[in-house]
Amino acid sequence: MAKTAISQQKSALSETAFAWLLIAPAMLFILVIVAWPLLETIRLSFTDANLGGESYVGTKNYEDLLSSRKFSQTVSRTFYWMFFSVMLKLILGLIGACLLNANVKGKGLFRVLVMPPWVIPVAIGCIGWLWLYNGHFGILAGIGQRLGILDGPFEFLAYKNSAFWSAIVTDVWVGTPMVTLFFLAAMQGVPVDLYEAAYIDGASRWYRFRRITIPQIFPVIVSMMLLSAIWTFNSFEVIWILTEGGPRSATTTLIVDTYKTAIANFKFGKGAARAVVIVVLLSLFSLFYLLVLGWLNKRMGSK
Amino acid sequence: MKYIKPLLLAAAALAASGTTQAQELHFIMCGGEIRPADQRAADEFVAENPGVTVNIDAVPWGTCQDKSLTLAAAGDPPSLSYMGSRTLKQLSKNNLIVPVTLSEEERAIYQPGVLATVSDGGQLWGYPHAFSTKALYMNCGLIKEAGKSCDAPQTWDDLYNLAKAVNDNTEAAGIGLAGKDFDNTMHQFLNYLYSNGGKVLDSESGDVLLDSPETLETLKFYGKLAEVAQEGPTAWERDELKNLFNDGAIAMYINGPWGRGQHNEDIDQITVPIPAGPSGEQGTILITDSIAVFKGSGHEELAAKLAKKLASGASQYDLDESWGLTPILQYEKAGVEKPYYVGDSFWEVYTAGISKGGPEPLVTDFKSLQSVFTNMIQGILLDDDTAENLVSIAAEELAEIK
Repeated sequence: MAKTAISQQKSALSETAFAWLLIAPAMLFILVIVAWPLLETIRLSFTDANLGGESYVGTKNYEDLLSSRKFSQTVSRTFYWMFFSVMLKLILGLIGACLLNANVKGKGLFRVLVMPPWVIPVAIGCIGWLWLYNGHFGILAGIGQRLGILDGPFEFLAYKNSAFWSAIVTDVWVGTPMVTLFFLAAMQGVPVDLYEAAYIDGASRWYRFRRITIPQIFPVIVSMMLLSAIWTFNSFEVIWILTEGGPRSATTTLIVDTYKTAIANFKFGKGAARAVVIVVLLSLFSLFYLLVLGWLNKRMGSK
Repeated sequence: MKYIKPLLLAAAALAASGTTQAQELHFIMCGGEIRPADQRAADEFVAENPGVTVNIDAVPWGTCQDKSLTLAAAGDPPSLSYMGSRTLKQLSKNNLIVPVTLSEEERAIYQPGVLATVSDGGQLWGYPHAFSTKALYMNCGLIKEAGKSCDAPQTWDDLYNLAKAVNDNTEAAGIGLAGKDFDNTMHQFLNYLYSNGGKVLDSESGDVLLDSPETLETLKFYGKLAEVAQEGPTAWERDELKNLFNDGAIAMYINGPWGRGQHNEDIDQITVPIPAGPSGEQGTILITDSIAVFKGSGHEELAAKLAKKLASGASQYDLDESWGLTPILQYEKAGVEKPYYVGDSFWEVYTAGISKGGPEPLVTDFKSLQSVFTNMIQGILLDDDTAENLVSIAAEELAEIK
């Protein structure tokens, strides 16, 4: 009896060891690729690291950030940028997915045509937009003048508001195809029976969309919203290529500010503090988002 | 057996000499292209130094200086790098480059003010290799179309009136202004500031002198000039203005002597000194780019030898003449019989500016310096704040970073 117990314990132990062995490569990978750089960034944020070396400065970098009006403006601008960009991507993605899901001839071709903004390198796409926004040589200002909307050249990237919204438009252009394809895939998974039953009961198109499509693809919308929010928050290339954060910091988001500080100005310590703030803000945002979502799910489930 | 030891020693000696001779110099060349004059000098150097190769890495200006600095900070420095002299102070303060030694004779043939652009703490930190002064290009066709005669404006009022006439009477804008988030936004502004007697830093003490009536006048004039400039100056940098000039979309803009070679031949153009502001006389910014020799490459002496070859004598003259640069050396003193700029009215405009010019401010954190200026200039161009506030904020920020 005692012998069996010991052999069972032995086998249980070896199973645990075996399990650890299986996940060890992944753990090691995460430690090297994620944990170590993160810890190193946190350590750097307490130093004044620059080209000439580093020394410990305590929480000075964070105190400077908290007392800086420019930094708080950058934080609010980043959330503003994220909110509008994600909203537009989701709305356009949903509309696009509905249109692509329609049973029309050549839908395969339409589905392919939606891909280019996502498939071509972001830098190439952004350089194209740079020309579109050019007031003197760009097509947008040209069309505006032809139609009589503009009475002369208009530089979209020269003014604070127009530069901000132009950057959002480009970011939405880059990000919408992926959202569309995710939504389309989710829509294709909705059972046709539900639509047929609703149709027989006399439900309108809009009613079917609201009561069948949306609830059925809701989990995908939720995940897409969170992922898109994180990507948009950290979207760098679009802004950097179009405006480098200008004019007068009107398009400087947290990630651009971090790059300018850490990489362009070689203030690694100060830049690391900004990077840590990004991690904290995104973690808090994700936590808040998931809590609200859990609460919503509970409320909807209890009805 | 008794021969084995000497043979081994000989082999080791040969191997060692092979290692010292087979050296590759990594030369980062900012500007995105290798000028034929530099390539010729590098080829000669390779021929003169058997076993030495020069790997020239041409990188565009936008990313070049960052590349050299990052490599040096990461402990893998290039052997030498051609970059803006404004970076030298940061590099020297961080112990990343070696100082330059020039004899009294060598120093004496530089144009006045050139060595000041590479000096800090009583030492020279780079071999000046490209020098520029600036002047005003005028499209006489457009100016005549506006009903004005194509004469050099002497004062800012003359300049504004001329630009306004073009703006009001032709399809073109009167003048091209640079206001983008780019280094030459500050340079363009300093042309006006130095033409109004303004200063950025005290050359001796390093104190900030930006918050002055001269700067205020200059910034206000910049704001006024924006009314007759091309649409949206904050989206343009100087090198892009030449496209507008070539397109006949602007009648005037400030550029270096290389501009002449970049303009369409059919444009009826003249080049004149930058007009004087109410508190100063005609001036210009003096900018140099230099070759810096990095520490830690393992062949600093060889790199310094190459840098000196590139930046002196026939190689330097070849570069200045073929590229069309303001002469960095007084070639008459160096024994050149009839230098390219002597007796040429175009070059007289650029060489006359040398003695009246002001330097590019040398600070440790040059990127922050640029953003302080860009922020101030964009502030007036976008009418974001009063000139008084913008100048005092810029001076405060400058005091923090100098």
